[in-house]
Parts: sequence; C-alpha cells; structure tokens
Amino acid sequence: MTAAIAFELHGALPMTSDAAKRAFERDHVIAAQGGSDAAFAELVRLHQRRAYAVARAIVLSHEDAEDAVQDGFLHAYRALDRFRSDQPFGAWLNRIVANAALDLVRRRKVRDADELPETLALPFRDPGEADELRTRLSEALTHLTDRQRSVIVLHDVEGFTHGEIGSMLGMPEGTARSDLHHARAALRRLLTDMRSNS
Amino acid sequence: MSDHLKLHDESDERITAGLRKVFAAPEGEAYWRSLEARILSRLTEPPTVAWWDELDHWMRPALVAAAVVLLASGVATFRAYQAEREVAYEAMLTPSALPVETAVRPMLQSGREATFRYLMTKPR
Repeated sequence: MTAAIAFELHGALPMTSDAAKRAFERDHVIAAQGGSDAAFAELVRLHQRRAYAVARAIVLSHEDAEDAVQDGFLHAYRALDRFRSDQPFGAWLNRIVANAALDLVRRRKVRDADELPETLALPFRDPGEADELRTRLSEALTHLTDRQRSVIVLHDVEGFTHGEIGSMLGMPEGTARSDLHHARAALRRLLTDMRSNS
Repeated sequence: MSDHLKLHDESDERITAGLRKVFAAPEGEAYWRSLEARILSRLTEPPTVAWWDELDHWMRPALVAAAVVLLASGVATFRAYQAEREVAYEAMLTPSALPVETAVRPMLQSGREATFRYLMTKPR
C-alpha cells in the first residue's frame, strides 16, 4: 500500500495509517522544501480543512477565515525552509494560520472600531437551515470575548486539546482551560436568559 | 465524577451541537478545490511589503544609528568639557598682566564705571 492510499484510508486503519500519514506528509514537506510546488499543493489539500476550522474559530466571518487560511499558507510557504521536517507539519501550520487569523482580527478591530457588528457573522450556509438554538447561540457568542469564543470552538467543535489551543493562541494551557470554563458558563447563562426572556 | 464531566452536562452537549452547526465548514469538494486554487495562486504573487513591514526592516539599523549618534555626542560633550577644564586650569596658572582688581572682577565693571575710573586715574 502506498503512503498516499494509506493516508486516504487512515480512518479505517488507525495504527498503520498514522505512521503512513506522517511518512507521507514528511515526504511532501521535504519535497516542498526542495522547491516542489506540487508537493506543497498536496500539503494544502491535506490541511486546508483543518486550517479553515482553526481560522474560523478565531475570526468573525467565513470570508475572514478564508483570508486567514490563504495568508497562513502563504506565510508557511515562505517559511518552509525554517520548518524541521521531523515535527508535525499540521501543528506548525495551525499555529501560523491562528497567528494570521489573530492578526486579521486585530486589523479588523482597528478598521471597524466605529462599526462593531451587532451579531456574529454566520458562516456561509443555507439561511433556511438556521434553527432557534443556532440563532440564539450566534447572539450569545457576541457576548463572549474573542479569546473565549476561539477557545470554546477550538475545543468543543474542532476537538483540539487545551495544550494545542494554548500553543496556537499563544497562552498557557491553564488559561485555555479557564477560558473554556468561563465561556461555557457564560453561554449557558446567556442561553437560559434568552429562553426566559422569550 | 470529575469536574470536567460535571461541567460537560446535557446543556453543554446542546451548546456543542449548536456550535458545530454555527461553525460548520463549507461542504462540497468544489468549494475546497476552489480554495486550494486561490491559496496556490497567492503563492506565485510577488511579495508585497506593507509600509509597517518596511518600517520594521529599518528599525534595527535606525536603532544602531541612534546609538552611534548618542555615543558620538556623548564623547564630544565629554571632550569639550575636558578641554574647557584644561583651559580654565591653564588660565588660573598663567599670571595675569592686568591689575588684580581688573583680573579678578573684569566683568563687574560697567562701561560707565570704567569711564569714571579712567577719568579719575588719568594723570593731569
């Protein structure tokens, strides 16, 4: 079985596929470091979904998440020669994408200081899909801090560990844990308040 | 039961399910192929340098230049002070040709006083 096939099948073959995935990824990283754009394109294909999820947890809109993903991959491409191929490429890339997303949030804050959005922009989805909880959640999320929102999405939706979140957002693991606790408590309280008010 | 399990109760499960809907990634291979194409097309763009990046590049040389200027002005000030002290010391050691009063208090005399003194001391 080739590494590429093993990578595609990694859900079905957890033991073999993890090693195969790492080997496949390492080969492509080394090739990309050697100047192969095709190898980098393969790395983009492998990691763009996860990168999008990281960016989407940090920024306020789908469009900003796309921009952050593109910026992140661009920075990664330019810094590829500094990456040590024995490290997990995904974790390195996610940190870069998270930084690009945080940078975008900072720039947006400066630019839009006078026109803060009243509700959190939703990702582009069929509006007909919106249910009551989703609407209330979107409203409740606007009451969290940027960091609390990012932490709860990265942890509860994307499944990152506290340590990974801390590393991506540049804060100690304990802070990520505490932010998650406060974010959950705040969301619970806000949703209860909304339910009792409606 | 751990704290984590206590916190992650039924309402948390509902919140998580709601969050998954709110933050769901776009579906469909066409979208991801398009994003991939946009990412790859950005790689071929020539790097553009923003003015703040340009400033950032100049930050180090500017700091070095400022440090050199500061050092040079410090040295110049010190040397000027030393020279001034030497001149003052030399002046103290050199005997003055003027009368003691004039040598000691040359600046205390106004023009009017000097004229008066000249007239009073002038031989008739």
